Amino acid sequence: MNNESPGFFRQLPSALPGLALIIVTLVVIRMWIEPWMAGAVILGQKGWLIKVFHLNFILLGILCGMLYRNVIFGGTMPEIFSNGFKLSRLMIKTGIIMLGSLYTFSAIVQLGAMAIFLIGGFVIMTIVMVLWLGKLFGLDRSMTGVLANALSICGVSAAVATAPAVEAKGSQVAYAIATILGFGILTMFISPFIGHALGLTDLQYGAWIGTGILNSGQVLASALAFNPNVTPGSAVSIAEIWNIMRVISIPFAVFAVTVWYWAGQSEADSAGKKKGLGTLLVEKFPVFVIGFMVMVFFTSMGAFGDVGIKGGPPASETIKTLRDVMQWVFGFGLVGLGGYIDFKELRQAGGAPLKLGLIVGATKYIMALVVVLLIKDYLVSI
Amino acid sequence: MANEEKTGSETIGAAGPKSKVTLFKDDRAEDVGAIIVTVIIVAIIVLMKMH
Repeated sequence: MNNESPGFFRQLPSALPGLALIIVTLVVIRMWIEPWMAGAVILGQKGWLIKVFHLNFILLGILCGMLYRNVIFGGTMPEIFSNGFKLSRLMIKTGIIMLGSLYTFSAIVQLGAMAIFLIGGFVIMTIVMVLWLGKLFGLDRSMTGVLANALSICGVSAAVATAPAVEAKGSQVAYAIATILGFGILTMFISPFIGHALGLTDLQYGAWIGTGILNSGQVLASALAFNPNVTPGSAVSIAEIWNIMRVISIPFAVFAVTVWYWAGQSEADSAGKKKGLGTLLVEKFPVFVIGFMVMVFFTSMGAFGDVGIKGGPPASETIKTLRDVMQWVFGFGLVGLGGYIDFKELRQAGGAPLKLGLIVGATKYIMALVVVLLIKDYLVSI
Repeated sequence: MANEEKTGSETIGAAGPKSKVTLFKDDRAEDVGAIIVTVIIVAIIVLMKMH
């Protein structure tokens, strides 16, 4: 399958039209629509769209991407724009690596310890709940295995990573992904409203969605929709540490579910098909996390000047520019993400997998909020 | 699906065939691509701010 790919650099020229569409969309939103929304008087209130709907360039960008694909282009991205939109994940990963410039190692240790506690607890709870409900609903073991990791860790990534290890069919993976994306899109749009309505701080909100929302891209979008600022202590800086902890745990969770799956199969079936933790770590470890940690290292060493942590000296000009660029990089990635939300694909979800996905997804989402509110006094800010 | 395994993190994606969401041959290549793009962006910003 890999041999069919013509290669990145050979495809790059064909990505230019899509790239241009995304950039023009983002420029129009940030240069004209956002300033207009801030000044527009609706129902006698200045900036009503921002105050009531909490609209910002992130939400507008995702909505534009969705509009392009599902309304303007009738459900399929035209060939001419398709390759440009395929660069959106690259930009989201690039933005996440650049986010390393928000943290020093001490901040990572403080936040990471909290994140491991919450993420670890929720990952284990979710896997156990899915395995139990899967048995209760009489789901196929492969389907249950894929859903267990999709709902516990990182949505699409975990579903795809787990599929070969539990011998899942393509249709089962598509079912699982459609379920989690459908639920994730709903939470991506409602979470900022809930967060503002409950008066959550950036720290509380970031911890909540970093734990409760299923997919990495949706965590990012939801955090930036709540607060588009990219600074230490902002919602995105908290949520992404949670997210990175979750992404790192993918090989371990794949291993755990694999052990569960093969424990229920005969020795003859499993011979030569089981994979060890070491192999899974080599195959599945997300390499861009290393880039993020290198960025944290350089930031901690002062390579880019002062970071601008609360109570310390203001951020250097280099750091400020990095953060401005980061907003554009994320904006690009999230317009592209919106372009990949396909209503037709979401309709693939159904039956018992959908029921299980909604029960577990909603439980996790609500429980994460309750736990964060309960431990809010113990959350450590940076 | 079991025969279509690719190496990499698959961190952000969409439903449907994996090949349609990236220009890279797999997710690990995309991760490395993101690191290279970051290095280029950071280098440009640092050089701009030096002058």
